[in-house]
Amino acid sequence: MTKFKKKIWITITYIVLITFALVYLMPFLRSIVASFMTWEQASKYPPEWIPNPFTLENYRKLFRLELFPRWILNTSIYAGIIVAGNVIFSTMAGYAFARLKFPGRDAIFSALLSLLMIPMFVTLVPNYIIIYKLGLIDNIFGLSLLGLTNVSSIFLMRQYFLSLSNEIFEAARLDGCGPIKAFFYIALPLSKPALGAIAVYQFLGSWNAFIGPLIFLRSPENFTLPVGLTFAFHRSMWTEYTPIIAGSLVASAPTIILFIVLNKYLIRGIVITGGKG
Amino acid sequence: MRLFSFQSFYEKARNKEIVAGLSLISVAVILNIIFGYFAMIFAFYLSFFKWDYIGEMKFVGLQNYRIVLNDIFRGLKGAPYLLAPFYTGLKNILIYTAIVVPIQTFLAIVLAAFANQKIRGQQFFKVSYFLPATTSSVIVALIFIWLFMKNGFINYVLTHTIPGFQPIDWLNDRNYLLLAIAMVAIWGTSGHFMVSFLAAMQAIPKDIYEAAMLDGAGPIRRFFYITLPMLKPMITYVVVMGTIGALQMFDLAWVMAGANGGPGGAGYTVALDIYNEAFTRIRPGVAAAKSWVLFAIIFTTTYIFQKKYGRQER
Repeated sequence: MTKFKKKIWITITYIVLITFALVYLMPFLRSIVASFMTWEQASKYPPEWIPNPFTLENYRKLFRLELFPRWILNTSIYAGIIVAGNVIFSTMAGYAFARLKFPGRDAIFSALLSLLMIPMFVTLVPNYIIIYKLGLIDNIFGLSLLGLTNVSSIFLMRQYFLSLSNEIFEAARLDGCGPIKAFFYIALPLSKPALGAIAVYQFLGSWNAFIGPLIFLRSPENFTLPVGLTFAFHRSMWTEYTPIIAGSLVASAPTIILFIVLNKYLIRGIVITGGKG
Repeated sequence: MRLFSFQSFYEKARNKEIVAGLSLISVAVILNIIFGYFAMIFAFYLSFFKWDYIGEMKFVGLQNYRIVLNDIFRGLKGAPYLLAPFYTGLKNILIYTAIVVPIQTFLAIVLAAFANQKIRGQQFFKVSYFLPATTSSVIVALIFIWLFMKNGFINYVLTHTIPGFQPIDWLNDRNYLLLAIAMVAIWGTSGHFMVSFLAAMQAIPKDIYEAAMLDGAGPIRRFFYITLPMLKPMITYVVVMGTIGALQMFDLAWVMAGANGGPGGAGYTVALDIYNEAFTRIRPGVAAAKSWVLFAIIFTTTYIFQKKYGRQER
């Protein structure tokens, strides 16, 4: 290929990539700018780009509403429980499935895997009834029960533990280290990258979860952020739209920041689960 | 359990492993049995009963499935959407899937191919494309409602890039509502799949490309004759996952169209219908029947696709 041709090719590449980057980023940029505008300005046509007057009123309105900080707290508790549950239980299960021999191991594991094929809508109504019978409707802990472990995180952890070399576990066994001890002293310390991946992945999932919280939570003070914001939107709690935009940005800030900081790990996690699903 | 009667050291160690293994998996297995298997079987059982969550369950045989079938037949005969909600949801979701899955897959491959070259800022592009996928679909939908307004940003951009484009009232026009939802979905998920493709592309051995380059194959030929065939398992995976997701679409429709599917039910989906059946019309039995029908549809489509194109995998 000639140098000239190569240059054209690189130019095309950049044009395509930058155009699409703009398309993907524009809604965020537009929202950030508009969140500092009055609704009057944000709804102007043609669109304006510089907040004039620059106002923090949209954010103030959110936090003046008592429910909004509650929603942040609820979402954090929910995400915290889900992340902790997955880190603990899925790691334990993943280790056992990868490293220990016990009767029925492979059958149980494939039984778990086949659950991945079941759409959540099939189990939704029965799970609602189970949680209802347990008296845990409208309770963030009742909702959390459903997500404490997750087949894909078990799968990811198992893949990871399988990829560790045999020798270190053999050596531990020869030194008289039992399977549980080996889990705490060898497997866990070695599994930080995989743990990080499932933690981030589960955090994103639970922070953004909608249908579960929508069904299992009833009173506005127990809502999580996504449910709360749609509630505020449908109930027209704000006649202007700009507080909704500001609220959306606040709600997505943790996941966006987390992703920008940890994107390498996250992408790796998606590659591991994505490639082998 | 003959193992337990042997007392040699080896056997003891082995027993230890059995006890440890079973206890380590116990929580995960119990939760999955209750909320996965039991719930699934219960849903099947429920689909033969009439119930209101409180009173007694009444066995009605295949009545609930007949309700679903009647709904579909009525819809095929052209009944309005309130009389045939399941049919409306099904029709919409099939159109939606047919729009979203091919476009998002195509876009993901093309973007990955462009980003997979030796260029500066690859990380920046990856992050930009992936960002929508990290944001809650509900939040995304809320932002897009504003962007899709008649006097909104999207109409502004389109009138200035496409000659002769007239502003559309996207969310209140039954002809455009589903398309608007599809556009948001494509925007939201294509970057996620782009990263999957990028990873698969980077796993293709470099010497194949080098050999092709020596033979004089340009970048476009290399893409069609090497990259695409090597990506086949990943394409199958992305299409299957995309289809499963699209057929169950709920969040975007809930926010952008509302629980009743917006004007003329143009944004109504099967998932919304299952939700309404279970929690608005209080007919959990019918909801369960509808969810099994949805499962059957998802299972057959993805099974057929995998059978046809997914041979290479494993």
